[in-house]
Formats: sequence, structure tokens, C-alpha cells
Amino acid sequence: MKRELVYMDAKSSKFWNIELSGNSHTVTFGRIGTNGQSATKTFPTEEAARKDMEKLIKEKLGKGYVDAAGSGTSATGAAPSTDGLIPLIAFSSINHREEISRNAGTFIGKRVVDYDPEKPAKPDVIYRFRGDYDENNTVENLQQFIASDAASGTTALVIGAWHGDDAELSPEDVIEVLVKGKDRLSNLAAIYVGDITSEENEMSWINQCDLSPLLKAFPKLQLLRSRGGQGLALSSPQHENLRGLAMETGGMDVSVVRSVCISNFPNLEYLELWLGTDEYGANFSVPDLQPILSGRLFPKLKYLGLRNSQQADDIAGVIVNSPIASRIETLDLSLGVLTDEGANALLKLSSPTLKKLNLHYNYFSPEVIKQLKALPLTVDASKPSGMEEEDEWRFVAVGE
Amino acid sequence: MVLSAKDAADAIRSGRLRGPATVADRLDLTEFKGESLPAGLHCYELDASGSDLESLPEDLRIESRLVLDNCTALATLPHGLSAGSISLRNCPSLRALPENISTWFLDMTACVQFETWPSKGTIHHGALILRGCVGVRSLPCWIGRLSQLNVAGCSQLAEIPDGIAVSSWVDIGGTRITGLPPSLQGAALRWRGVRIDERIAFHPEQLTAAEALAEKNAERRRVMIERMGYARFAKEARAKVLDEDRDKGGARQLLFIDLREDEPLVGLWCRCPSTGRQYFLRVPPGMKSCHQAAAWVAGFDDASLYRPQIET
Repeated sequence: MKRELVYMDAKSSKFWNIELSGNSHTVTFGRIGTNGQSATKTFPTEEAARKDMEKLIKEKLGKGYVDAAGSGTSATGAAPSTDGLIPLIAFSSINHREEISRNAGTFIGKRVVDYDPEKPAKPDVIYRFRGDYDENNTVENLQQFIASDAASGTTALVIGAWHGDDAELSPEDVIEVLVKGKDRLSNLAAIYVGDITSEENEMSWINQCDLSPLLKAFPKLQLLRSRGGQGLALSSPQHENLRGLAMETGGMDVSVVRSVCISNFPNLEYLELWLGTDEYGANFSVPDLQPILSGRLFPKLKYLGLRNSQQADDIAGVIVNSPIASRIETLDLSLGVLTDEGANALLKLSSPTLKKLNLHYNYFSPEVIKQLKALPLTVDASKPSGMEEEDEWRFVAVGE
Repeated sequence: MVLSAKDAADAIRSGRLRGPATVADRLDLTEFKGESLPAGLHCYELDASGSDLESLPEDLRIESRLVLDNCTALATLPHGLSAGSISLRNCPSLRALPENISTWFLDMTACVQFETWPSKGTIHHGALILRGCVGVRSLPCWIGRLSQLNVAGCSQLAEIPDGIAVSSWVDIGGTRITGLPPSLQGAALRWRGVRIDERIAFHPEQLTAAEALAEKNAERRRVMIERMGYARFAKEARAKVLDEDRDKGGARQLLFIDLREDEPLVGLWCRCPSTGRQYFLRVPPGMKSCHQAAAWVAGFDDASLYRPQIET
């Protein structure tokens, strides 16, 4: 008996395999792309070995590992899959709140490296382009990279703090350079516009812009991820091949919600929206999400994340009644103001397809957490440290 | 003909739109001055709040939101009206919903004349808000599972039919509802937005003043006192007498009860001179005398001007 699990988040991509043989089991683990290391443990009986294996698997699933087979990636993952599809698990932005304070260590499951104009660019590396306070070379470095031989092989790009010392600056220039270089970036499959930590610029202060020129310029794009809500727009929301769309904001404007609802993304499997609070621009109401919840928009959707929302309880109440809940595999309402009221609604979930519920960062009572964990699903109801005591005021994970 | 939201709005406002039109976005017709809309309109979202619309065309097609808040002349809606959500807040001329209405969210806050439900329809999955619909006497049994049901202020509503279920909560503040149907057993309860339990909702006679005073949450304490009745609460809470005198009804008292972290409860304890019934009339906490309190109740800010000749 064998089980292969993988894990990916903003800083790592790991595998964990276990194989049972008689009264012993062997665990192999490590970074995806390496052989990892193995350890074998022997038990007095076969039954004891099997039980221990089950316990370990449950523990790993609780931590966010998923089965490698269903995730589209393999334990070794050394060779990219032949169809060029990014594994679905690699779309996830961040799993837990603390990851928001660090720049992306990985993107689409691969290590991110800051671009260094002094060194020759390599095609198999994912570069991050960003400026800092005294010197903002984001656009120049990007132009240099696009002119290099590495450009045509690159599959993913990360745009970090593009604004240098001018926090108001939108990434319009950066996007223009990318669009101009579209013929040289012919294999680009994933773009992240806004790998910016709160230290560089608060999420709600980041000035974004219309990102749809990227959709038009890159027909092979599979994942578009962005951070920042001010000025964010998708004026022409259509793409034949897009599989993942992730937009992180501290407050999402209703026009962006509407753009998603009138979009034409027939191959979308992953939709992650950080909705935020009205203090930072969230001016939609739950009925505005109805087209998404009705399930008629994205026939291939497997993951739905409505995260960082002040209205998480109200969303939970509607989602348990919605057709979309019976179509997706993962529902993510994490990082928002989710209380026992929302949890009590989620306890009524009955979905033939749903496997995972991400409710990290929540205001649940211990009794309700116990009930949630008894659901026949993998449930992450963890809280970041310091969130244990009962607070009178309830905030989303990232407002400012 | 596919039109941009702006072109379509301009054409409709100037009466130039001829023939069917499709708008893939939010059509903004707020404050629209016409009584009706052209036929053959299909849009993602329509907002005609504050407009003079009296009705909508039978063939209107809305994908997501239909917003008709504050449409004072709106009297009828088309048969089979369907939209992801329908908002009809404060439409005082609307008496009935159309046959076969279909939506997830319906907000009819302050539709004070609304009273007639269609014999068939679909309202499910989302929130049904009937706040302050004082004409509503019943709910139809075809309503399925909702996320929220808000009937607060439906002062004539005494019952929720079996079959209606909620995933989040039901708000029954200010209704005559005395119990929940089997389909709502165990549902979370609210009283005008305040979370309460079944005892506060349905057995206020079991509540005691001591219990109300011990309640830490000021909002819930207010609801408990309202449910007990001010008169019983004041009596049980051993209110302090601030002033005493006599009027036509007999002896009257100005009573004071301290409520932690909330403004104190001050009220005039008096009898109606015609019926002899006793009342507790809540007044602002700064009142010092029975006369001043009675003057405030009668609408006088300056008590010296209040000199009633006859009290009935």
C-alpha cells in the first residue's frame, strides 16, 4: 500500500510519500524535484504499522498536503508534465496569514529568484522584477530580460514592488513592456503582478490597473495573479485557456466582481477573490456574488476562494445552498470574519464533490471547530497565533 | 443590438431606443423619469432606483441584479420576473409580487403596502428580507431553503409556515410569531438584528429583571427588557422614584433604573384617565419631573409651555 502526497505554498513545494510493507512503513520526503530522504519504521504487528501510517497521512492532510495523483504533480516533479499544464495545487497564493508578510518564495510551485541584471538570465528560473527606494529599475530590468535569449523559455514571471519610492505608481508601464514583448515571451503561462509585502506597501494602498491587456497578449496564460485593489480592473474579461485567476485585495470594488461575473473563461478551474472590507473599498454586497454561486459561469471550476471577507458569514450561509458547492472540490473562506454563525451554516454542507474546506483564520469556538473536524472533509480550521482569545472586534486578516 | 451600458442608458433616457437591446454590464437608470421601459431589453444588471417607473416590460431579461429601490410609483411587476437578486426597498405603491417570480435574494424592506404573494414562485438559496412590511399577514409555503429570513417589523405576521428553512438565521423582531415550525427548529434567532435565544423570543414571561440586568451585551439587554415589558421590568428591578405627583389619571411616578454601559432607563409610570390602564412611557434619561416627562411625551421640549386643559 502506497500513498503520495504533495504540498505547495508561498515558500515551499514538498512531497511526502509513504509505503507500507508488512509490519513496517517507509516515509520519503523532501523538496519537489529532489530525491528527498527516507526513513523506515518497524512495528510489532502489521496492524500497528497500518494504523500508524493512517495516522501520519491524516496529520499531513490536515496540514494542507494533497494527493499527488489528483493534483497534477508528481512527488519528484523534476520533469514538467508533458502537456505543459501547471498543477492545480500550484495555483494557491498563500495558505496561512503569516505568509503575507514575506515575498513569494515560490510561484507555480517553483523557486522565485530576484532578477540580477549583472548575471546572465537562465530560461528555467522564475524571476521577480522589482525596484527599491533608491533605485527603481523594474522596467529596465524587464526590458533587458525580454531582450535576452532566456525570454522565450520562461514560463512564469513575478512582478514585485514596481513603484520604487512612489507608492502611488500603478504597474501600467510594466504591463506595457510585457505586452510589447509578447512575441519573445511566447511560453509565458503564469504572471503574478504585485508580489508586495505590507512592509513594501500596504495591500490597500497598492495602485493596480487594468490587467486585461495581459489576457489579450498571452494566449497560453494559465494563471493570472494580482495583489492590490485600488484601480484594479479587468475591462475585457475573456481568455480561452486561463485556468486560474487570483486577485488579492483589502477591499474589492463591485466593478471587479462584476467583471468576473460577466467574464468568459471557459477553462477556469481556480478562482480566488480576496474581497476585503468596506473600509478599504469593498462596496459589493453578497447578491453581487450570485452569478458565481449559481454555478453556471465556470463549468470546470474545482477551487473557489472567497477570502479575506468581512462578509464571510453571510457568504457561508448562501454557499451551502448553492449549486456551486456541489461542483467544486475545494471551498476556501479563509482569512475573513468567519464566526460560529458561518460555521453552523457550513455544517449543513452536503456536496458530492467537495473534499476540502479551508477556514484558516476564524473566530470559531472550540466546540464548533470540533464539529467541523467531524465533517467527512479535510478541514483547515487553524488560527494564527494570538487569535485564541475572544475579541470584541473582528477584523479580516488583511484590511490595510 | 448589443450596446454599451452608457449608450443604452443615454438612448433610453432620451427616448431614442428602438428595438431590442442587450447590455452586458450594469445599466444605470437611477432617477429615470419615464413610467416604463422599452420592450426587448436584456441586461446583466439594471438599477432604476428612485425612478418614476410604474411597471416593467413583460419581456425584460435581467441576468444578475435588479434594483428598484425607492420607486414610489412602482405598482406592478411582470409575470415570471427572474433575476439573481431583486431589491425593492421602499416601494410604497407595490401591493403584490407577480406569479412565478424567481430569484435568490429578495429585499422588500419598507414596502408598507405589500400584502399579496403569488400562488407560485421560487425564492431560495439567498436572503428574503421583509423588514417593516407591515401589510404582510402570511408567508407562502413554496419558499424553500434560504440563507436568511428577515421579517422584523412585520407587525401582522403571526406564523411561519412549515417547510421554510434557513442556513444562517431568522429575524422575527416586532412580529406576533410565537414559535417556529418544525423546519426551522434550532435555527439561529434575531430580534431586529440582535442575536437572541428561543426563551427571549417565545417565553418572555420567563425572563426576570435580575437576568436582564445581568446580561453583559447591551443590545441583548434592551431586547430582553422590551420583551418583558417596561412596566414589569421597572417593578421587578426596584426602580428609583425620581418624582411623584398626581394628574387626571391619579398618582404618577417618574422611575429610574441604572443600566450598566447603557443609558439609564427613565420612564413615566401613569394611568390613562379614561381607561384606567397603567402605562410605562420611556422618556429621555435627563428628565427630572413627572410634568417634564409628560410634556416630552406630548411633544413639548419646553415643559413650561405644556399646560393641558383636558386630559382624556
